[in-house]
Amino acid sequence: MPRKRDPIKVDYDKCTSPEDCKICLNMCQPVVLILTFTDKDYHDPKDWKIVPAFPSLCIKCNLCVDKCPNNAISVAVQ
Amino acid sequence: MCKFCSKHGANGKWYLNAKNYLKKEGEHFEQVRDYMEGLWGNMERLYLAKSGGARVSKALELALSPVVGDEVRKIFDEHIEKDVYQNPDPRVAEGHFGQVIPLEEAKMITMDLSDVNIKAMCHCKYNHRGIKQATCLGFTAVAEMLPKLPRYLPENGIEILDADKVESFLENMNQKGMVHTVWAGPIPYIASICSCDHPNCIGLRMRLDFGVKAVLKGEYIAVVDPNRCIGCTKCASRCQFGALHFSSVLNRPMIDVKKCFGCGLCKESCEDNAITLIDREEIPVTRGSY
Repeated sequence: MPRKRDPIKVDYDKCTSPEDCKICLNMCQPVVLILTFTDKDYHDPKDWKIVPAFPSLCIKCNLCVDKCPNNAISVAVQ
Repeated sequence: MCKFCSKHGANGKWYLNAKNYLKKEGEHFEQVRDYMEGLWGNMERLYLAKSGGARVSKALELALSPVVGDEVRKIFDEHIEKDVYQNPDPRVAEGHFGQVIPLEEAKMITMDLSDVNIKAMCHCKYNHRGIKQATCLGFTAVAEMLPKLPRYLPENGIEILDADKVESFLENMNQKGMVHTVWAGPIPYIASICSCDHPNCIGLRMRLDFGVKAVLKGEYIAVVDPNRCIGCTKCASRCQFGALHFSSVLNRPMIDVKKCFGCGLCKESCEDNAITLIDREEIPVTRGSY
């Protein structure tokens, strides 16, 4: 289970092509998850990742967990 | 008038001062163009950028906490206020703030004041929803640097909009329910007009979810004329700020002046001209609150 400090986790081994999928971004009502490039090189598509930026806004609806085709997202209930 | 108007407005609104529209031969042109490239190039990464050792997203969440929240918001305000002479850091969007404007002023800016208007993809909507939509209008400095950032180019490439196209573009955005915002980058120069949508906009999200003044309220307040309103409820779905509530008991909308941003979206939807925009300074409660 994820720790309480990071209630939302994205497994980047399973979430490999977020720019083609984007289902979780469409599902999240308060926009906790964002699509961003994690390193300096924004031209590299591999650098773009789904990041849970605002876990405090999460309403624990678990839509992102249910709809993710690769089961890459986990949300702690606490 | 807001604090930026008294500094850069020349006795008017800062975004209606022709001096703040950069010309190609202008003094700061190269600096502003490079700033805009750094800003737009790193925009999707803004929440993850580090400033003073802390991540912006973590700092935003701290702004909600009761004890240190005020201090955190003060630090954000200082960042946002940096002008072109203080070498603002574009990677953390220093010197970059927006203000809500009604449709008429957006038209005035694009048709009379800016030299070039080009369409650009919205980085916020891609950042938050993965959706590419050309809902932003960039001015001179943006038009110069945009070819270096191909992900912001619309499908048809760079397209310079003439007066007719700009007008229909803005009206189309208004009909869709997007809030017009004018953006400084860096202060006092004016970079773009965006069509924003909460919560899919970095600025509105900072303001409405975290109380950080990345977007200022507009210079107006919407008021309802109860004698003209026929209760059609068309305005009811337009407000993004939670200021307009349609009262079924009175059969007319009630507008909370403290929450109103003066975007005029409700006014545009009203076919009976029952909603008008008045100056924010006219109401004692809202005077000076931006």
